[in-house]
Amino acid sequence: MDLRQEVYTLNLGPQHPSTHGVFRVLLTLDGETVVDATSVPGYLHRGIEKIVEDRTYAQVIPYTDRLDYLAGMLMNWGYVLAVEKLAGIEVPERAEYIRVIVGELSRIASHQIAVGSMASDLGGLTGFIYNFRDREYILDLLEMLSGSRMTFSFMRIGGVASDITDEFIGKTREFIDYFPKNGIEEYNNFITGNEIFQARSKNIAVVSREKALDMSLSGPVLRASGVAHDLRKVRPYSVYPHFDFDVPVGENGDSFDRYYLHILEMEQSLRIIEQALDNLPDGPIMAKVSRNFKPPVGEAYAEVESSKGILGVYVVSDGTTKPYRVHFRRPSFINLGHFDEMIKGWKIADVIAVLASLDIVLGEVDC
Amino acid sequence: MFETIFVDAANWLRNLLISINLSPFVVEVFLHVVKMVVILVFVLLNVMWLVYMERKVSARFQCRVGPDRNGPYGLAQIFNDVAKLISKEMILPTHVNKKMYLLAPILIFAPPMAILAVTPMGEGMAAVDLNLGLYYFVAIAGINTVVVWMAGWSSNNKYSLVGGMRAVAQMVSYEIPLLLALVGVIVLTGTLNLNGIVDAQKSAWLIFTQPLAFFIYFIAAMAEANRAPFDLVEGESEIISGPYTEYSGMGFAFFFLAEYANLLVMAIMTTTLFLGGWLAPFGWTFIPSWLWFIIKVYFVIWVVMWMRWTFPRIRIDHLMNLAWKFLVPLAIANIFVTGLAKYFIGI
Amino acid sequence: MYGKGLLKGLKVSLGWFLRKNVTENYPDEMPNLPDAFHGNPIFDYDKCIACNLCVTACPNRVITLETETVAKKKVVTAYNFNMQYCLFCGFCQEACRPGAIRFGKDFELTKYKREDIKIKFVKPEQVEKKKQEVLQAAAEKEAAQKAAEAAEKSEAKATEKPKAKAVKKPAEAGAATPNNNMEES
Repeated sequence: MDLRQEVYTLNLGPQHPSTHGVFRVLLTLDGETVVDATSVPGYLHRGIEKIVEDRTYAQVIPYTDRLDYLAGMLMNWGYVLAVEKLAGIEVPERAEYIRVIVGELSRIASHQIAVGSMASDLGGLTGFIYNFRDREYILDLLEMLSGSRMTFSFMRIGGVASDITDEFIGKTREFIDYFPKNGIEEYNNFITGNEIFQARSKNIAVVSREKALDMSLSGPVLRASGVAHDLRKVRPYSVYPHFDFDVPVGENGDSFDRYYLHILEMEQSLRIIEQALDNLPDGPIMAKVSRNFKPPVGEAYAEVESSKGILGVYVVSDGTTKPYRVHFRRPSFINLGHFDEMIKGWKIADVIAVLASLDIVLGEVDC
Repeated sequence: MFETIFVDAANWLRNLLISINLSPFVVEVFLHVVKMVVILVFVLLNVMWLVYMERKVSARFQCRVGPDRNGPYGLAQIFNDVAKLISKEMILPTHVNKKMYLLAPILIFAPPMAILAVTPMGEGMAAVDLNLGLYYFVAIAGINTVVVWMAGWSSNNKYSLVGGMRAVAQMVSYEIPLLLALVGVIVLTGTLNLNGIVDAQKSAWLIFTQPLAFFIYFIAAMAEANRAPFDLVEGESEIISGPYTEYSGMGFAFFFLAEYANLLVMAIMTTTLFLGGWLAPFGWTFIPSWLWFIIKVYFVIWVVMWMRWTFPRIRIDHLMNLAWKFLVPLAIANIFVTGLAKYFIGI
Repeated sequence: MYGKGLLKGLKVSLGWFLRKNVTENYPDEMPNLPDAFHGNPIFDYDKCIACNLCVTACPNRVITLETETVAKKKVVTAYNFNMQYCLFCGFCQEACRPGAIRFGKDFELTKYKREDIKIKFVKPEQVEKKKQEVLQAAAEKEAAQKAAEAAEKSEAKATEKPKAKAVKKPAEAGAATPNNNMEES
């Protein structure tokens, strides 16, 4: 008997439990297998790049928080770095160290979400909760400094908003002691080592080294394909040359490597924080920046290694108090560009797993 | 005194009815109706408790407290949950196949109820002492697939359709290792009567004499009951809620509660077949048999919940591979070994 | 061995099953918030010098400040905080030197009515009181000045010079901490 077969379209999202917000993919399916996919981002577009053209340079900072709201500190950093480059402001060394500490803490918090959401998207919600449990320590620490738990607005043009206290240092050291044993080891036992998890993520959606470079991927997604490209090492900014840390690299470029790199990077971030706390210099935390800040006419592009990849910020000044144009190179958005290709030939369940392994944040994708 | 409380109650009722000069046939019919109502109430109470228990147990696994606002220990949450689900409107989408769409939630409760009628919940406490109990169980359990598929197909929603397809593929595949695992039990006990199987475990529980069969049966039964890591039919992070996506209000409540009824049936069958049913371990007969039965059932349920809140979901092709390439050969080997042992040692 | 990872996972979750919960029992047990926390906005009318810095610092134009000049002095007549647009970045708090606008620790900011979200900090009676105070102070000052002038006329002119300096210096320094300058001079 001949059965008539045909492919069908499934509209995954924008309202779907595991598209990390409001991401939409149009899947063409043959049974459960993806034949073709078109991703449709843009449901969280708030026009931040346009809004900030009507804000003064300092007022842009709270908006950068709302890009990648899971790593607000790193978003702040990218922007202030660009403005400092534009205006030629020297940041005091203590401020740079504080930036490194809070930035790396923010990176750990963001990576925890990546690890946790990978677990929850594969159906193991408990792994997600365990990550949130430990993330709470970091949020408490950053709240102590900045007064907010996620949208910190902590960095200022020329420095940081407040100095770190002894209480903060003590609590951070406590966290550094606590986390590797109780956090990372537990994730490894609970999520990484699980055979079902490995079966679901190993050799899934492999991205070759060449393809990763071609698609301009960055961050853990690129490093999982075996490219040791970390801006903190390759084009160091701030005081990163002072620290001793490794850049973990994956072998296969599959979902599992993309996931596991997040855990390895948490360990490296802890190392950086520890060194920064040990060598914290004294001094001011703000450079002299006038209230009526007007950078000279010109443009500047600065990059930082955010938790998702290379965050580039391009600022154009026309000599007034407001930026003429600000553009963000959002790593999630560019990493997502390869998603359509990656999921072809895999099952519906893998679509979710691959999306989780890419670790996107819709606030950043849609900007 | 408590040992025979339910049996005594049934006998008292029978004697009462006979004493008012009813014909024996009417008395039997009446008694069966009463038994069915008791089972219905038993299932509903357990299901409501299981909803609460799942929330509490999952909370414990996730370092949380769970519901604790309503009543002592949040116990009133059960009634709130049920009241909420019942009082909500059941939306009937325009594009559904109305008859099947409305019939599916009604039928979903039938298989677990029908199975519970034959399970002995204590010494001499089976509502119907069926000779072919095990056979009946396997036959009725298969019907579930049809109902889920009805829901998936009639919803006219692609997520539901994918869920329904998964349900058919998964449940039909897992029926086979489940059946083959039970063959080992039948070989050893030599009966299909569930009471007989429990009686045969007096010397040793079947989990010790048939560990492999237990292992296969447990996995297959979890897959049959759609519990994680085999909850592909619902697969909430992939296909929203599978066949139940379009249901709301009372319709959803039925599916939601039926899921727990299936879990209950699965635990009851595991207890009956492998954990010695209502038999007391270590000769601790001071606890009545029906209480032992409940304790064992809830232990099994707790283990299933433990697994659900630990493991990620398996993928559909891995699931099929597991059933056909691993469990089925293993089950056949188990039958072979059991047969040899029976022949040579004559257990 | 295949399945070892599964057992390890079961061990981890069982460990947490037997331990006490780590969550806070929120409504019964309020969170211990740091001093830097950005919660409810608090406005101190008497401290406000109507410098408008918080208004210009705000990225989202949440604050509107209205003033009235009474006897050459600015009196705040309205200080409206439109909380629905607030980003809780703390820029206004940072800009405010006298500490008139700051953030408290109350984070339960939901309101029953939509209009309650637009907080009007200044009450009419406060404004009236302030106006009277300013007028009174101005009258007193005038009277004092007149008295001083009368006294000065009779005394030597040498005492006048340092007084004029003291008045001039804070005006030059502008926004930068007037208190310190006063002490220095």
